[in-house]
Amino acid sequence: MKKYVMIHDENLCIGCQACSVACRNENDTSDGVYRLQVHAEMKGVFPNLKTNFLRHSCVMCENAPCVEVCPTKASFQTDEGIVLLDESICVSCKYCVLACPYDARYVDPITKNIGKCTFCFTNRVAGGEQPACVTVCPTDALTFGDANDYNSEVSKVIATNSIKYPKSELGTKPKLGFVENKKGGRYE
Amino acid sequence: MNNMWGSMEQFSHIYWPWPIAIYLFLAGLSAGAIMIALLVKWNKHEDNTNSIWDAMVKAGAITGPIAISVGLLLLIVDLGKPLSFYWLMLKYNFVSVMTLGVLILCVYTPISFLFAMIIFEKEIENSKLLSFLSPITKFIRSFAHLAKYVEYILMILAICVAMYTGFLLSAIQKLPLWNTPILPLLFLVSGFSSGIAANILVGMAFFKGSLNKDSIKYLLVLDLRAIMFEIPVLIMLFLGLHFAGGQAAEAGVQAITHPTYGMMFWIGVVAIGIVSPIVIAATALKNHAYRPVYIVLNCFLILIGVVLLRFFIVYAGQICTGL
Ligand code: SF4
Ligand code: SF4
Repeated sequence: MKKYVMIHDENLCIGCQACSVACRNENDTSDGVYRLQVHAEMKGVFPNLKTNFLRHSCVMCENAPCVEVCPTKASFQTDEGIVLLDESICVSCKYCVLACPYDARYVDPITKNIGKCTFCFTNRVAGGEQPACVTVCPTDALTFGDANDYNSEVSKVIATNSIKYPKSELGTKPKLGFVENKKGGRYE
Repeated sequence: MNNMWGSMEQFSHIYWPWPIAIYLFLAGLSAGAIMIALLVKWNKHEDNTNSIWDAMVKAGAITGPIAISVGLLLLIVDLGKPLSFYWLMLKYNFVSVMTLGVLILCVYTPISFLFAMIIFEKEIENSKLLSFLSPITKFIRSFAHLAKYVEYILMILAICVAMYTGFLLSAIQKLPLWNTPILPLLFLVSGFSSGIAANILVGMAFFKGSLNKDSIKYLLVLDLRAIMFEIPVLIMLFLGLHFAGGQAAEAGVQAITHPTYGMMFWIGVVAIGIVSPIVIAATALKNHAYRPVYIVLNCFLILIGVVLLRFFIVYAGQICTGL
């Protein structure tokens, strides 16, 4: 079985927001809401400053709280572990939005459906393509692929870097991991 | 906001707004009213006092189904897609508290109506408007020997309804103010207390004829006990947050010092909902003949306190996250 994983290397990320724009374009995201943002966070004391670029999106939990609370099973997991939404049976109770520890979900202001990052599963990945954000990243900060395939790009990135999985204390087992920023001023 | 990455609005939005707070209030009130009606009814049976169908039983039997119906209506209206609500009854996820709640309510609500029809059997048959229902009441009558079981089941369901509303919120791990095992208990106790207050008010307003001074007194004393019990439960809630430390402790402090919700807590929940009924009970109602003004005032204060407790938990829970 495939296990799709995405790694965001914060050392390579320059905060250009190309991924965010590509995502909006690919998924036709409504105005005012976001499946994906890259936040810039300035740290340290002058002159030892550094800027971290942090990706904010669904992390594709293996043990997903959003799936657990959904009363109609509109939020579900595919065999590959991708968390998706069946809009036809979602009542938009917003329970999943509140349950997601990563603030990854929102209510679409127009359709009232729940939106979030899908790893572009239905529109791209299922057809063998890469997610839109990954394809446009100019610095190749994003890597996506099957972690169970040892020859895949993403397996190599995981093998050669120390990967941080956010809020691992919650036991949600994210499939979006990060290589933490080591560049810029030191402040620790 | 004008960040390079765009608006942050979606991260601080209140996803469960006031209709949910009112729904939680009405569900607790409905369950409380039913519990009281049954308790009074059972006690009267044992004492074998004259008026078994006393005002409190009637008040509870009518308040219970109406309150839960209005609450459910609000719940549906608050869905992003209200017209698709029927999926909640067709698709189930047994690990979701919301599904469990739907199932409980699907049984509780009709049985609460059934209970009302049993209690108001005579009134329904004598009324011009409702007499068309009399074949149904006659049909129900033929199962009279089962009435006691209906009451037992209804009692258990009422307790479940009052508590599930607490579990509904406490399942949300992300929000420290919600994610506490105290919440179901707090909602049960305060729901019970609001049910008493509502029953007394409804009883005084509509069933004066069969009003029983003793039962009002009995209920007010019971309510006072419930309120007294609410105090340690509330303290446990905040102590729990405090000892959990970190984000949870911070969230607790934020909530009770928040300019709006902190005020709502101290003035609404504590001063109006807890302290003032105790003061009234200790002064105006003590050893006196139970004067209607004070009884009514007392009941209103209790209801206000319980509504504001729900608002406080719902809103402060979503806003004060300790981050
Ligand atoms: S990050 Fe949130 S939306 Fe994504 S799978 Fe986890 S809980 Fe669900
Ligand atoms: S909003 Fe939709 S997807 Fe989310 S929990 Fe409710 S029914 Fe499930």
